[in-house]
Amino acid sequence: MAEIEKPQVNETSAKTEPAPKKIGVYLCRCGGNISDVVDLQSVAESLKGENVIVNIQDYLCSSAGQDKIKSDIEKGKIDRVVIGSCSPKLHLETFRGMVKKAGANPTLLEITNIREQASWVHDKEGKESVNSKVKGLIKGAVARMGSIEPLVPLEKKLVNRTLVVGGGIAGITTALEIADGHEVILIEKQPYIGGHMIGLSKTFPTMDCSQCILTPKMVAVHNHPGITMHTQTEVAQVKGSPGDYSITLKHSPRYVDIKKCISCGACTRKCPAGAIFLPFAQAVPQAYIIDMSKCSGCGACVKICPRDAVNLDAKEETSTISVGAVAIATGFEPIDPSFIEEYNYPAPNLLTAVEFEDMLSAKSKTGMRLQKADGSFPERVAFVLCAGSRDFTGKGRKHCSKVCCIYSQKQAQLVKKMKAEAQAWIFYIDMRSAGRRFEEFYHHTQEKGVNYVRGKVAEIIPKQDGTLMVQYEDTNLGRKGREIFDMVVLCPALIPSAGTKELADKLGVPLGDDGFIEEKHVKLDPVNTLNQAVFAAGCVLGPKDIHDSVTEGMSAAHKVSQFLGKGMILIPPEKPMILECNGCGDCVKACPYNALSLSGGKAVLSPLACTGCGICVPACPIKGIEIRNFTRSQLKAQLKAMLEDAPGVVVFIDPYAYAAADIAGVNRKQYSSLVRFISLPSIHVLDADVVNAAFEYGATGVMLIEGTTDEKLNSRSDDLYKKLKKETRKHKKPLRYSHIETAQYEKLTDLLNVFASQAGAKAEKRSRKEKGEETPEEKE
Amino acid sequence: MQKETIIPESKDIAFRDLIIKTPGGKNIPTCMQCGVCAGSCPVSHEMDYTPRQIVRMIQLGLKKEVLNSNTIWICTTCFSCSVRCPRGIYPTELMETLKPIAMKEGIKNRNTKFDKIFADVVKKNGRASEFLLISKYSISEPGMIKQVPFGLELMSKGKLPLSIDKMDDLRELDSIFGLGEKTGIQEKTQSKEKPPEIKENDSDSQEAEK
Repeated sequence: MAEIEKPQVNETSAKTEPAPKKIGVYLCRCGGNISDVVDLQSVAESLKGENVIVNIQDYLCSSAGQDKIKSDIEKGKIDRVVIGSCSPKLHLETFRGMVKKAGANPTLLEITNIREQASWVHDKEGKESVNSKVKGLIKGAVARMGSIEPLVPLEKKLVNRTLVVGGGIAGITTALEIADGHEVILIEKQPYIGGHMIGLSKTFPTMDCSQCILTPKMVAVHNHPGITMHTQTEVAQVKGSPGDYSITLKHSPRYVDIKKCISCGACTRKCPAGAIFLPFAQAVPQAYIIDMSKCSGCGACVKICPRDAVNLDAKEETSTISVGAVAIATGFEPIDPSFIEEYNYPAPNLLTAVEFEDMLSAKSKTGMRLQKADGSFPERVAFVLCAGSRDFTGKGRKHCSKVCCIYSQKQAQLVKKMKAEAQAWIFYIDMRSAGRRFEEFYHHTQEKGVNYVRGKVAEIIPKQDGTLMVQYEDTNLGRKGREIFDMVVLCPALIPSAGTKELADKLGVPLGDDGFIEEKHVKLDPVNTLNQAVFAAGCVLGPKDIHDSVTEGMSAAHKVSQFLGKGMILIPPEKPMILECNGCGDCVKACPYNALSLSGGKAVLSPLACTGCGICVPACPIKGIEIRNFTRSQLKAQLKAMLEDAPGVVVFIDPYAYAAADIAGVNRKQYSSLVRFISLPSIHVLDADVVNAAFEYGATGVMLIEGTTDEKLNSRSDDLYKKLKKETRKHKKPLRYSHIETAQYEKLTDLLNVFASQAGAKAEKRSRKEKGEETPEEKE
Repeated sequence: MQKETIIPESKDIAFRDLIIKTPGGKNIPTCMQCGVCAGSCPVSHEMDYTPRQIVRMIQLGLKKEVLNSNTIWICTTCFSCSVRCPRGIYPTELMETLKPIAMKEGIKNRNTKFDKIFADVVKKNGRASEFLLISKYSISEPGMIKQVPFGLELMSKGKLPLSIDKMDDLRELDSIFGLGEKTGIQEKTQSKEKPPEIKENDSDSQEAEK
């Protein structure tokens, strides 16, 4: 790895005489989103004694708002900026870019989140308490801004190679689009690429055959000189950091050498157990596979193979690759509908739509014939939509699976096409045919004589003779009905494919509460994730059709190319500085990323390996290590100012849990306005010094909330918490640790409410005690 | 009853808001009219409005029609609808909520009459008496005259005993009835959900109390 180390900021700069700092505070009304709840004027007035410039704008992110800040900097009125607006996730980069252009250091601009963390989540509380919170937050931010130092981001060279995970249509598109400019490694869990799409019959709304349009792309992937393809492969382990990952892949055995196999089929003809096969003619890679559950190990295939391609002793293998970016395209899987008791799945002639497609696709085992369990053609077929979707009871999934309305109509058309007299019924709740050419498709299906019933099916009862009784309410008539069908097709909820969470955790990418990958921004950054080197495309971001998967694949490829094209990655400069060292080596032992080493009896940091987690800070026995801009004194300054006027509950929060608080804000989940977040790169920066200071300055309680899925960090949280608990016991105020991942925003708000009320009750009890009986208090 | 045009005057928003606050009513605004309740209901074909339609009418505040419907009295409380509703509405509990409101509002039809007579008989005797129930109901409901021959036949076979089996001590029963009348329809004051778990990994809720 080529490491380019920029000169670090002078180690002693934190100690030099502070030059007079000119801080500008800019508050955003956000078109009423903030100002309807928070009295910004009174917030501005509360800063009167602070020697800062305060300005309020309607939309700070607009060009007018940005120009105001820019001109203030250019005129020399200010050189440091505190912004009170929406979450920094949205506009921090915008504002910092502007500040840079104006000639100031971007790290000297910080955003205090008074929308997602105040006006959107406390609007049911009294204005007084919200105002008091915002005043505290801004004061804290001003104090912090006065104490931090200008830093320059470090640069690291990128590895010019991308890993695309998933060989469905989204992954194939992503890989092909990247591969013309950058090297790609494409991995697929299944033995063949093509994903769900190769298992489809016709595709809506054009009714062209799926394999006809997909196979050329599969072959192109196989032949592209810039793409290395591995099937039966999964990500086992991820090491390194964004831009420079070392990823271990796990390859399951196929027992047939892909490079040697010419798919002549001699082995299949010889195999007595039917264990060696090619699942379909167009399969890519064109290589046979052995189903070991059927293989007797007789060795007939080994002997007959003219190319010596069969190896019955093949074992699972691993390999390690080095990549700069990762694109996740792991797609969906249908939910198993057997949890819906009243539908009695599985039963003969009761299928899922995926099983229906299989019968008519390239992979068909029935010779592309639609048939019942007894081999005959189903004369009456029902399609049951929303099987497990749109369910808010916790049994199914909340989301709409989006494609079922249209594909069920396509399947109904296929039934009518195969036999005009056959009946096809579609049971739907809302016929969602938004999108170009889809309403016409709906209309066309109606013309074909498909019967539509508006009503969610209540029960499916399999009968002795293989038919199925469907009970429902025709909600347009308000009348209950029963029908007998030869075949019933369930349209199951589409959910993220198995293993999505494990992969996302390894890459440090948060998921939404629906299990799909969380986009960096729902609307404006739809294929970026919260990890700058990880991108996503297709159904792993939510159910969608082929058209949209392809569009996202292309977008992700563009984003990957853009990212790799820069050649360099900027990494945050908030790294440890070693101010004093006695060479004990405790920090070296503590660092989970091997970023510290001893050289000449002193600890030395390699900043590019360092993630800035801060574990070394409390590890140093002589308090010689501080994280830049998160030093003990800087945090204390912020705490002091924040709690000066009104007490509150201090919540130290890491970026992943911070994202959960943002989602809570977007969903307007109310929680106590006593809560004051302090954003940290990780909670492991903290030691008893800071927590004790929080209590001394008036915090009624302190919480540590961690959202990272990095085991190297959260496996140590227990010890950190116990240590802090012990060392802050003298204050007799509640301290709590909690692990909350990004998706668990409801858990977060519940927890904050409970903790805030407990801390409040405890504080009240204490003050009563102090007033009443004072003597026994002193002991202990 | 005659179905009416929905006009602003027929909507009673206070009624809607009241029902939403009762147990089982919280999720009424989220009903998507899928009809799984009516499809699951073993007796929805006997109802003048299906449970789905009742929920819709509550959303609109059509108090008069809701309270006059026979739906609320026909419900057998089998809970199929409540188990299957994808939006977490409990139509069963809803019906139980609407019954006392209909009574209080003085709705008069054969269903409310029957219920009232049944309650009166139990209150007076501590036990249900089929004879008293049927005879009292027949007097108030003229259509029942047609059933007299059937009643006589039952009586002749000893299936409708004239003797009234009365509880010895009615005081405890009285207190139950009194309690019911006093409480009546109650708004949901406290969330039904469990309070959030605070126990977090190594959490300290007990320790913190020390």
